[in-house]
Amino acid sequence: MTPIKTIAVGFDGSMNSQAAVTWASHLASALGAHLKVVHAVGLLEHAGQSRHTAARSEDGRALALAAGLLSSQVEWLAVDGDPLSALLRMTEAPHSVDLLVVGSRGAGQHSGTLLGSTSLELVEHSGVAVAVIPQGGPRDDSELGAPSRSE
Amino acid sequence: MLIVAGPVGAHSHDGGQNHPEQQGRIFSVMDGVRDLDLDDEIRYLTAHPAPLEDLSRVHATKYLNELESFCRQGGGNLDPDTFALSDSWDAACRAAGAGLEAIAELERLGDGVAFVPVRPPGHHAGAERGMGFCLLNNVAVSAAALTARGQRVLIVDWDVHHGNGTQAIFWDDPDVLYISTHQWPLFPGTGRADEIGGPNAIGLTVNIPLPPGTTGDIVRMALEVVAQPTIDQFNPDWVLVSCGFDGHRDDPLGELALSSGDFAQLAQLASSFAPRSGRLVLFLEGGYSATALRSSVATTLGALLEVPVEQEATTFGGPGSEAIEAARRGRVQAMDALRMKSHLAGGQG
Repeated sequence: MTPIKTIAVGFDGSMNSQAAVTWASHLASALGAHLKVVHAVGLLEHAGQSRHTAARSEDGRALALAAGLLSSQVEWLAVDGDPLSALLRMTEAPHSVDLLVVGSRGAGQHSGTLLGSTSLELVEHSGVAVAVIPQGGPRDDSELGAPSRSE
Repeated sequence: MLIVAGPVGAHSHDGGQNHPEQQGRIFSVMDGVRDLDLDDEIRYLTAHPAPLEDLSRVHATKYLNELESFCRQGGGNLDPDTFALSDSWDAACRAAGAGLEAIAELERLGDGVAFVPVRPPGHHAGAERGMGFCLLNNVAVSAAALTARGQRVLIVDWDVHHGNGTQAIFWDDPDVLYISTHQWPLFPGTGRADEIGGPNAIGLTVNIPLPPGTTGDIVRMALEVVAQPTIDQFNPDWVLVSCGFDGHRDDPLGELALSSGDFAQLAQLASSFAPRSGRLVLFLEGGYSATALRSSVATTLGALLEVPVEQEATTFGGPGSEAIEAARRGRVQAMDALRMKSHLAGGQG
């Protein structure tokens, strides 16, 4: 099994993505890994919500630091694209992360089908392991370290 | 003669007034068409849904089934940008079918220019998923129908955003030359100059990323300096244009600095790439300023039909000349690297 040195976690400001960042931060702290907090900048956000993005950057970093990560272990990335493409790009050079972490349902997404579900599509398309964090996060931090493996 | 296939999306696929990709875009576009006062020199075609056989050349059956089912169940958001509603499947199928109608009519006439004013737009939609306001890839459906008949197709995409879906669909297709000028960096984050095509189509993807503030003279130069040599070599039978007008300086979704007069010149340049009259089809992609859309559509089509239209002056003097040289250089380096890799692989085999 490839050691997990770098983790990317999707963050759109939703409660689910906050849980994902917290979970990923705990895992990164336990493994001594580097964490990339990834925010996808879509067409609508580019058109007029740039201040919102700045706030999210602070929120994302704050969650990671609160979970025990050092500032030097956390990187904020605002990536042009839709959430799925932005996260999949993290698996390619130069990022080449070992694990993707995402909330089970992002902001404004439809549940229950592959369409509109970043988490389900990630599991289908990712070449690295994907951890899907349920709403509210895992029940217990002791559950850390058992991310689901995508094929 | 102007062939107008559509419009589609004026009364369907309604995401509301707060979404920039809205029904009102089609009204602005059609106002631009009417500004030409073409009378008998215009022919409107009804856009029928693209047959499944044509959609399936471009999109995975699984995606088509899921999208139809998703819409039939009421729809929702595919991602934070992209919506699909109960009537969106039908609108998307008709948007994809409009180009097929346009091509058939041009073939019947043997002359003219075709315009496909449809929404939802298409160039971000990939084989397996919609995104960036797009559900089905309209220009790709038409291009694939043509290549299935042995035709060679040039797609020129001057939307402010890179057409990642179109690029991916034809990445390894030796019968399609895809050329894109687009703002960089910007959504969808693809379209670097070193993205040049797959092993069976090396060099047949041409990306020219341009900085914010780029003016019309630079976009034209980009096409002439970087793309024209490949176009001449490729020798297309058809030219399809992913005709986004969001490169206009008034557009709220991009930061290029083009005027309606620039689009007229780009249209003339695209026309010069076609082997003869009757082989040019323009597909509406983006464009989110009502006034810019109307004037840009009128000047673009007016330039192709040699109809005088009031237009904004062409623009010049913006940044981007360095980007053109960088794109040319990046492209050459990527092609050399691929050739070397291929040579080495051959030597080892």
